[in-house]
Amino acid sequence: MTGALFAQSLVLGILLGGLYALLAAGLTLYFGVMRVVMIAHSAFLILAAYLAWYFHERTGIDPLLSLVITVPLFFVVGYGMQRFLVSRLRPISLTTMSVLLTFAIALTIEGLLGFVWTGTQRRVQLDYSGTSIEVAGVSIAVVKLIAFGLAAVSLGALYLILRKTSFGRALRATTQHPEAARLVGIDTDRVAGLGFGLGLATAAVGGTALSLDYTIYPSLHWHWIGPLMAIIVVGGLGSIPGAAIAALLLGVAASLLQVPLGTTWAQTVFYLALFVTLMIRPQGFFGGRLAQRF
Amino acid sequence: MPNASDLARASRPTTARPTAARVARIAALLALVAVVLLFPSLAPDPFILSVGVVILSYAVLATSWNLVGGFTGYISLGHAAYSGLGGYATALLITRTGLDPWLSLVAGGLIVAVVAIPVGIASLRVRGASFVIVSIALVLILQLTFQSWHTFTGGSGGLRVPRPFGPEVLRPEQHERFFYLHAVLLALALLTWWAIERSRLGAGLKAIREDEDKAQALGVPTFAYKLTALVVSAFFTALGGGLYALWFGYLDPIFQFSILVGTYMVLMSLLGGVRSLFGPLLGAVVVGYAVEVFKSQYGDTQFHLVATGILLGLVVLFMPDGVIPALTSFVNRRRRASSIREVSAEELANQREEAAR
Repeated sequence: MTGALFAQSLVLGILLGGLYALLAAGLTLYFGVMRVVMIAHSAFLILAAYLAWYFHERTGIDPLLSLVITVPLFFVVGYGMQRFLVSRLRPISLTTMSVLLTFAIALTIEGLLGFVWTGTQRRVQLDYSGTSIEVAGVSIAVVKLIAFGLAAVSLGALYLILRKTSFGRALRATTQHPEAARLVGIDTDRVAGLGFGLGLATAAVGGTALSLDYTIYPSLHWHWIGPLMAIIVVGGLGSIPGAAIAALLLGVAASLLQVPLGTTWAQTVFYLALFVTLMIRPQGFFGGRLAQRF
Repeated sequence: MPNASDLARASRPTTARPTAARVARIAALLALVAVVLLFPSLAPDPFILSVGVVILSYAVLATSWNLVGGFTGYISLGHAAYSGLGGYATALLITRTGLDPWLSLVAGGLIVAVVAIPVGIASLRVRGASFVIVSIALVLILQLTFQSWHTFTGGSGGLRVPRPFGPEVLRPEQHERFFYLHAVLLALALLTWWAIERSRLGAGLKAIREDEDKAQALGVPTFAYKLTALVVSAFFTALGGGLYALWFGYLDPIFQFSILVGTYMVLMSLLGGVRSLFGPLLGAVVVGYAVEVFKSQYGDTQFHLVATGILLGLVVLFMPDGVIPALTSFVNRRRRASSIREVSAEELANQREEAAR
């Protein structure tokens, strides 16, 4: 592999890793507040991408602007999903039953996408779709840069919300110890709902970013959920910084391996990392106490 | 020194008691066997018979799934990995080594059981969440590998499986033979479930399902038990997949390693009831029939995804214990105004006596 090719793959890997990091952060949020493995996360991701595509198709406006609609919409849907569906499950079997429930939601979304917009592959065509900028011999597609920028800004915003606001403090308290959080007067049910909304909002942002650069089709979400699941396990279930680090590392690894192995085999690096992590360190590499019990 | 209740118990006559329920159960079992045995001769045409084979195959898979899902409460969404591997192992053993089809089937099952060991070690050390994640990842990675590995598996072009019976066996007769073969496999899987349920292993597994921490504290070797259940389940699932492959004669990675097949197994078991021996079979008959009717009526549209998704969601939300317990509790609620105790003291005493014997 030549130096230029290496640099190119590295940059592409980091750009992709940024998007993975944002989406994995969403998954981590659900897991943190409710101990829920949210299989439907990537289905909502593809749904947001479809909405961005459809928005562009009908209005001709830049698909990025669909964020104004999809982010609040997904936030409300996420909140409702937690309050009306997930919270109905029995606490004792919550982890496994919530997997099934969100899995059912993922299937339903996939089916509905195929039903409404058929299985045809869709792609947003923009006047800047083909353009790329060159920095030190590495050419970067503008759309990838925008996607990364969106992900980075959203991750930053998420960080600020969690660290600097009183809601963020309540949410972290709920994650760490729900009973203690209730004792100091935090309405953990409401916080869990809002945490879900926030998590689903990351899917809206990610989906819009995805629509700029990818050809989308209804069953695409399976190609995303596997790597994302691997990332949150490697990072340690429940840890957002861990998920972000794992996302960047695995994104870069997959991107570098693509050159000698091709796209399909490079994907297996995520699953390999998942198995290796569970074998040698089942609580993940950056996770805290929480991860050991799940 | 014996206490009062011991004396009271000893003074009672020890005759075989609740005969009515037992007779009813045996009658139902005999009726089930009769229906299965008579079905091929009652089926009006080969198509219905082939639907019967498909439903029995689903029943085998769901019952095998229940060996781990029902006993331990660990939900595997990726059991299609084991059935798919079973199918491919059988087919590849026949085509590559020229082994006898039936030996290949059993060898394939054993190979898959061995494959399940490292998977179990990786995914069972921590609790349910990792297990589910690994089960999904396994299907996805196998689909990827078997699609790309053209030289060995035939890739996305698929793989033909040679028929185990000679050309003189015509299609309807082929269906009939495979119907009985599936029925035998189903009986074996049910028998295994029944045997485990009554064993120490079964008691340990159920303890894990109810409260893993307490089970561990009481000295149940939780990890070894969970791993055993997974390996036995993978073995039967692989046999189910292999037998189906021999009948169907063609393997395509998209359908073999399909998330949807794994979902059907979960849905069938959950709908019928994971805690009962015949729950998955009942679920397989209902869901399998519905799937086949749906396919023949509407073809392979995206709509079956929606239907499966909604049905699974409803089952999870409203009757996670399955139809049978849901109906019983509904009937009980109607019959008695208040049912604070589901078991009366007398029933409890009878049970204790029975257990003591």
